[in-house]
Amino acid sequence: MQTVIKQTLLASALAAASVAVQADVNVVSWGGAYTASQQKAYADTWEGGKVNFVNYNGGLGEIRTQVESGTVTWDVVDVLPSEARVGCDEGLFEELDRSIFAPAPDGTPMDDDLMVPLPNDCVVPQIWWSYVPFYEEGTFSGDQPTTIADFFDIEKFPGKRGIHTWPNALIEMALVADGVAIADVYDVMSTEEGIDRAFATLDKIKDHSVFWSSGSKPLELVKSGEVAMSLAYNGRIGAAVLSEGEKFVTVWDGQVLEEEWLVLVKGAPNREEALDFLVHATATEQQAGQARHINYGPMRVSAFAVIEEGEPWFHNGKNIMEHMPNRPAVMERSVVANPEWWADYGDSVSERYTAWMGQ
Amino acid sequence: MANSEAVATPGVLLTADGTPLKVSLQKSLRRSKLRAMLLVLPPLLFLVFLFVLPIGNMLLRSIDDSLVNQVLPTTFKEFKAWDKTTDPPESLYAAFYTDITRTLEEDKLLVGKAGVRMNYDKPGWRSLIKISARKFKKVEGPPYKEAMIEIDKRWGEKEWWLSLGAMKDERTLGYFLNAVDKKYDFDKNIISVDENRKVYNLLWYRTLLVSFIVTIACLVLAYPVSYLLATLPMRFSNLLMICVLMPFWTSLLVRIVAWMIMLQQQGVVNDTLVGLGILDTENRLAMMYNFNGTVIVMTQILLPFMILPIYSVMKTIPPSFMRAAQNLGATPTLAFLRVYMPQTIPGVGAGCILVFIVAIGYYITPELVGGKDGRLIGNMVAYHMQRTLNWGLAAAMGTILLAAILILYWAYDKIVGVDNMKMG
Amino acid sequence: MPNEKPLVRFVDIQKSYDGDTLVVKNLNLDVAKGEFLTMLGPSGSGKTTCLMMLAGFEPATHGEIYLNDQGINKVAPHKRGIGMVFQNYALFPHMTVAENLAFPLWVRKMSKSEQDERVNKALAMVELSAFGNRRPAQLSGGQQQRVAVARSLVFDPDLVLMDEPLGALDKNLREQMQYEIKHIHENLGLTVVYVTHDQSEALTMSNRIAVFDDGIIQQCAPPEVLYEEPDNAFVANFIGENNRLLGDVVEDAGDSVKVKIDDDSGVVHANKINVEGVGSRTTLSLRPERVTVDPEPGSVPNIFAAHAKELIYLGDHIRTRFTVCGHDDFIVKIPNSAAHAQLEEGATVNIGWNVEDCRALDPSD
Repeated sequence: MQTVIKQTLLASALAAASVAVQADVNVVSWGGAYTASQQKAYADTWEGGKVNFVNYNGGLGEIRTQVESGTVTWDVVDVLPSEARVGCDEGLFEELDRSIFAPAPDGTPMDDDLMVPLPNDCVVPQIWWSYVPFYEEGTFSGDQPTTIADFFDIEKFPGKRGIHTWPNALIEMALVADGVAIADVYDVMSTEEGIDRAFATLDKIKDHSVFWSSGSKPLELVKSGEVAMSLAYNGRIGAAVLSEGEKFVTVWDGQVLEEEWLVLVKGAPNREEALDFLVHATATEQQAGQARHINYGPMRVSAFAVIEEGEPWFHNGKNIMEHMPNRPAVMERSVVANPEWWADYGDSVSERYTAWMGQ
Repeated sequence: MANSEAVATPGVLLTADGTPLKVSLQKSLRRSKLRAMLLVLPPLLFLVFLFVLPIGNMLLRSIDDSLVNQVLPTTFKEFKAWDKTTDPPESLYAAFYTDITRTLEEDKLLVGKAGVRMNYDKPGWRSLIKISARKFKKVEGPPYKEAMIEIDKRWGEKEWWLSLGAMKDERTLGYFLNAVDKKYDFDKNIISVDENRKVYNLLWYRTLLVSFIVTIACLVLAYPVSYLLATLPMRFSNLLMICVLMPFWTSLLVRIVAWMIMLQQQGVVNDTLVGLGILDTENRLAMMYNFNGTVIVMTQILLPFMILPIYSVMKTIPPSFMRAAQNLGATPTLAFLRVYMPQTIPGVGAGCILVFIVAIGYYITPELVGGKDGRLIGNMVAYHMQRTLNWGLAAAMGTILLAAILILYWAYDKIVGVDNMKMG
Repeated sequence: MPNEKPLVRFVDIQKSYDGDTLVVKNLNLDVAKGEFLTMLGPSGSGKTTCLMMLAGFEPATHGEIYLNDQGINKVAPHKRGIGMVFQNYALFPHMTVAENLAFPLWVRKMSKSEQDERVNKALAMVELSAFGNRRPAQLSGGQQQRVAVARSLVFDPDLVLMDEPLGALDKNLREQMQYEIKHIHENLGLTVVYVTHDQSEALTMSNRIAVFDDGIIQQCAPPEVLYEEPDNAFVANFIGENNRLLGDVVEDAGDSVKVKIDDDSGVVHANKINVEGVGSRTTLSLRPERVTVDPEPGSVPNIFAAHAKELIYLGDHIRTRFTVCGHDDFIVKIPNSAAHAQLEEGATVNIGWNVEDCRALDPSD
């Protein structure tokens, strides 16, 4: 009996040890085509070790559990803007020494090579992505939707609308559709009347809405005809058009751009290797390289120049720039999401949005 | 005890070697008791570590507000001294400044955490604390009021100071209040939240309603199926049992996707109805991404939980009971109602309680098929656990769910127990 | 006591469950009013099926069953008004004893006071007046059995069916209950159709016994007739202990025959009952207690040498196994008297028997 126990213990200890040896850096991301692009652009080109990708569904719950219980198994995590801020405030991420990261080819330091100011020292750049409306070619006869206001206009463009089950981007879009200047969106949102105004616009499509909560859903909804137009993550639409030849049309007006950052979990088990991986992944070359595989915009401005010169840049020989959410041509009509506002007011607006959905 | 004393009265009984019988008996039982203890130990430890501790932790978190009190002790002391009608006094500003700078030196992270916590009560605190913490270094001595208003004009607004009132105690029922659309005002009076932010009461009601409907639907569907299972010849009942258990062996997501394909507005059911001319294409039924979807899919998923206990009880009822009842003059219907059904009550009760308890905490299915009005309280627990990190609120909701289940269980025990004594 | 006019009549009843084999083959049976008729047979002989057809739980494949001259094939079980005691009693576990008894009265919409009166009377009859508020599970097996009997009688049926009602009881209790049921039958003037596979139970209780085998009634007669004068080898063998000798008829004298035993070891003079003439095969049936040990020469026509193989002392008699005429399982019950005390294992003695006691029956094997 005792021998059996000893052998079992020994075996499990060996198993644990071999797991630790195998995975050099555990990188946690969203899975699917997005993780695949990170694999190809960052992991396959990195010579500092092996990368073990883990999928998650976002949120800080798991990270907080790991950090609070002292059993951290994740090293690098791909996080959304609100989480990037709250997680740093809560001390779940490590503050990084900025000097170790590579400057742009022209010598601009990484932290100045961004479209927005660096929110804190925990994060390093990843990509821009956006919430954007789209429809399938041939859905509407005559005039085609071209503005965000068209998305909220059921009379002009009849049919159901697909929207997500949380308020991010929808509040901004509703206000822009209602005529608020893009520069003033967050000032308006910071007042109770502004929120009321956004919900009044949302009311116009509420009875015609199908709510989705997973990123693949809006494409299915539009493809099956369940809805006429839907909001979606721009990368999903681009992938369908670029790789699968779908006839989806994106309305590049009033989109809401969101940041995506990489962070190092505090107490990461493979801290040194993870830091080396982060330095590699955030370099201009790798940032541009990711766009060969997915149409999310690199966060480093310098990467754009590389892509533009290299067109057709997409791996199957198509042009990628016209699918980039943060290309200069569409920036004027884009809202850059303000994560500080969402970190402060997100819960409260979410409650109201949930209440609105259920009524 | 009574027995051994009775034996002891005529004189202590001794074993062959002269030890008292009682001592000897205890000695011989000790080994087996010890062995029994050892066998119980692993499940006991398992129970403690995986149930008792986490549940205890959840209960504590649902009332714990010590973090913010650890950061702002002097501020709350000054807050209690303030009359709340006049503008906040300089002493309050000074106390806040001292608390924050002291905490920054001791443990910088606590300030950030406190900001996240304070943001639950009044949106904006997080950024206010963050900005202030960054700029307090540059403030040069008293008076602090003007300096702080200089840093952020919100410091001049009384409402921010008043909102501290809801956080000033180490233990709080605030999370429980939040979970039922109530909150503390600055004086710790309980008030309702704004009308357009009332979420939770509706969700509680809907959760109970969905669980109730799903339980009834499962019962209605499961009863005849269980009866067939229990009465059909073996070869048919085995096949039927496989059909019943099939959902158990299929991935939850696959089943849900199958239902989506069936029930969505461009789905199989609607297409068929339109194709048969029963429905106009404009009036396609909304059976997915709403309340109906949640009820339909949850009913299918939970059906085996109802069938199995009912079936296992029915299996033990010999056919001779129905025959006896008919032989005694009861019509088949009456025999079924008065003789067969009462005997299935334990199975029905077990099935109902099982389905209801599972349903009340469901969240994956409602998340995927619930759309706008089919989401349940479990979704909010998951949301606060994973997204907002408001674990206090999540814990409070979890505690309420736990309490609801315990009450239900108690009621079941009470009612079914009483029924067993009087039935017939 | 049996009345002339039959209460129950089975006419040409056939029953098949699967369409291939007949479980009951052409059954004709009358049960007189006030009679206690037992259907006796090994399991699978069709006796329980007959009872279920009578109760209405199984339809007859062919033929008609009459109750009081009314065909009841199309009458639903709950309208037949037949009392029944089930094998496992089928007392409703969720009702008290009194509620169980009141159930048939309640479905007949009797007034509460009449229900109470009848329930109390029935409980008194089975001496369980104090147990009305107990649940069946709180009673002993014998008490449950009595409740089952009381419940089958409480609504005054003319006919009561009992399906192996004593099977679950231990031996002493079973014998006691046999007498109780017999007394109830006699006191109330009931007609009872009783199914059992226990022959001593059947012999104790019945007015008549119908012996079933292979879907056919082999013989239907009062117990003493069945034992003393079995019609065929199966009945002879099934009821009581029996010695069998196989052989061929060599001489037919009208009401007696001479039979040559198979291994040429002798010729037996036997009573002709159920056998064809000279040359046909026959089974000779002889009860163990009808054999005499050491008979006076000439006192009986059949005398053979027997080799005692085994003696078992049973108090009132000694059960002895002999080898006779090549059969080594020939049993003789020797009364325990001084005369036979000397018999020992291994000894060879003469045994003999009368013509009337040795019945020449059909060749069963």
